[in-house]
Amino acid sequence: MKISGAQIVVEQLIANGATTVFGYPGGAVLALYDELYKQSDRLEHILTAHEQGAVHAADGYARTNKRTGVVIATSGPGATNLVTGIANAYLDSIPMVIVTGNVPLSIHGKDSFQEVDVIGITGPIVKHSFVVRDIKDLEHTLNEAFRIAQTGRRGPVLVDVPKSVQTDFCEYFWKPVHPVEPPVCPEFDAQAMADAIKNRKRPYIYAGGGVIASGASAELLELSKKLSAPVGLSMMGLTALPKDYPLNLGMCGMHGQYVSTTAAAESDLIIALGVRFSDRATGNVDEYEKNKLIIHIDIDNAEIGKNVTPGLSVCGDVRHVLAKLLPLIEKAENPEWLARIETLKKAEVEQVFVNKDYNPRNIIETVCKFSSDETVVATDVGQHQMWALQFYNFKTPGMLLTSGGLGAMGFGMGAAVGACFAGDKAKTVLFTGDGSFAMNLIELATAVTYKLPIVVILINNGALGLPLQWQHTFFEDRDAYSRLDRKTDFPALAKAFGAHGHRADSVSELEAILKDLPDDLPTVIDCQIEQSEMVFPMIPPGGSVKNIILRG
Amino acid sequence: MERFTVELIVSNQYGVLNRITGLYAKRGYNIDSLYVNETENPLVSRMLITSQGDEYTQTQMVRQLEKLYDVQKVILMAQINR
Ligand SMILES: Cc1ncc(C[n+]2csc(CCOP(=O)(O)OP(=O)(O)O)c2C)c(N)n1
Repeated sequence: MKISGAQIVVEQLIANGATTVFGYPGGAVLALYDELYKQSDRLEHILTAHEQGAVHAADGYARTNKRTGVVIATSGPGATNLVTGIANAYLDSIPMVIVTGNVPLSIHGKDSFQEVDVIGITGPIVKHSFVVRDIKDLEHTLNEAFRIAQTGRRGPVLVDVPKSVQTDFCEYFWKPVHPVEPPVCPEFDAQAMADAIKNRKRPYIYAGGGVIASGASAELLELSKKLSAPVGLSMMGLTALPKDYPLNLGMCGMHGQYVSTTAAAESDLIIALGVRFSDRATGNVDEYEKNKLIIHIDIDNAEIGKNVTPGLSVCGDVRHVLAKLLPLIEKAENPEWLARIETLKKAEVEQVFVNKDYNPRNIIETVCKFSSDETVVATDVGQHQMWALQFYNFKTPGMLLTSGGLGAMGFGMGAAVGACFAGDKAKTVLFTGDGSFAMNLIELATAVTYKLPIVVILINNGALGLPLQWQHTFFEDRDAYSRLDRKTDFPALAKAFGAHGHRADSVSELEAILKDLPDDLPTVIDCQIEQSEMVFPMIPPGGSVKNIILRG
Repeated sequence: MERFTVELIVSNQYGVLNRITGLYAKRGYNIDSLYVNETENPLVSRMLITSQGDEYTQTQMVRQLEKLYDVQKVILMAQINR
């Protein structure tokens, strides 16, 4: 049977398991949108207020339900509005398929209206991209896009479909889509690795996003218990273990816990699982690598040896590698090392806030108290993000949506929208700052339209807090353009969107609002804090634990 | 700094050259010479790329190239010392 290119796109999205897609229409995708209209009972399309919101939503959706996120945009400005979100998915290894329209092939390459080289623009930030020039390739190309997005190290794949291909017709075969092959355990000498581990007295595990992606939390916990090894986490791996597990030292690195970073430095073995040794996590690499054996396990071969030089390594899925390794690991007690960890924990400086009664810590802890273990928490980027990571009691792997590699302000609102659709419109929390929120708060409109119970906790310091803190520390307090001299009334703005808006000036006021949240509308809670609150500890870029700053 | 050459077998596709040279540029490596030809199989092309870098650079380049969808095979040629 002959069907149109637009129909093929919709059929292939469905065949590859998509049930919800995010997007925004425009001239070059109208044929596709007409088909989405006709098939709306089979494939739900969520209209956001901006393409950036749509792509972050697809990302948040993918992170929350571990499926491939799908986003659709028109050519030209639609496509360019996606760029930040694609880069974000690329750097955090989030599976995503991006479908863009483009001008008809007959006027392609002529700087036609709304024509941009989206393939060229996004080249460095996608796993792969396709231009479909012949409708006969469409079915196969979309299947490939989903396969690539989900295989190995996950990531975004873009498919550019010119308008003329959408309106063309061809024979459609309904070829069955092959499920993505699950990862297998690579060949490696597990015994040699177990032996190398056995001889070490101060083991430390550094776990990251690969543990979340491969679902290896149970294996990680078992390894930590068997070896009596404390665990430090990267930002992407923060939820891999429950926060209250005694050997979970929390995030390591630039704004990580003192104990987590120091223990890494004092260890004689780092077992690195699903991490890429980002400069934010390691600081000065020479210092980081000193006096220890590093064992690196990661699914991306190019990550092995890229930032640090491991003594032993395996390229493979973390869960499979650990499953093979664990039976060979001998139980170790390491009492001296654990005693040292306890000492370091005690030395961890309690963060002192300027305002004792109402500060980022008790705001975040209060919100946590009113959430369940399964509540999805999104963040934006800045001090509020670091505080949320430090003080929120994460219990379930993968429940944190944060922009790790790109650090993109504005990520949170879109991501929270996506998470709501992934989780049956369950309550979703967003911790944001007044700077970040302003970037994509337009998605409040989307949240109102679709009745999404997003609770926006606006940690409002009237500033771009993180730059301000850096300027304080490294630029002799010159606060170049980081104080926001704005008059925005956020609760009133929320109401203008049709959402609920409140201001909470104390923990008890915050509690009263949190007790009585609508379940079919977003709520914005403006929590005004002191501008001078800071995030500690802090390691200057390129520094090591020797340079750690513990208080202001 | 050593000169090194990689031989690539790539699918003969629109945009492939761009992706490969883009990868060199993105990682901050200069290309000294580049040679592309079709093979007896119209579906694949063969490339030779010479650039400069130490052992770390060479390994990184090979591993990054191997990740590209269009790249079927990467061979690090015997190193030619200057
Ligand atoms: C899109 C983007 N632009 C600029 C930055 C640099 N930056 C990092 S944090 C930050 C300030 C964030 O301000 P706000 O959202 O109010 O959070 P706060 O640090 O005050 O908690 C800026 C400008 C960024 N990360 N992303």
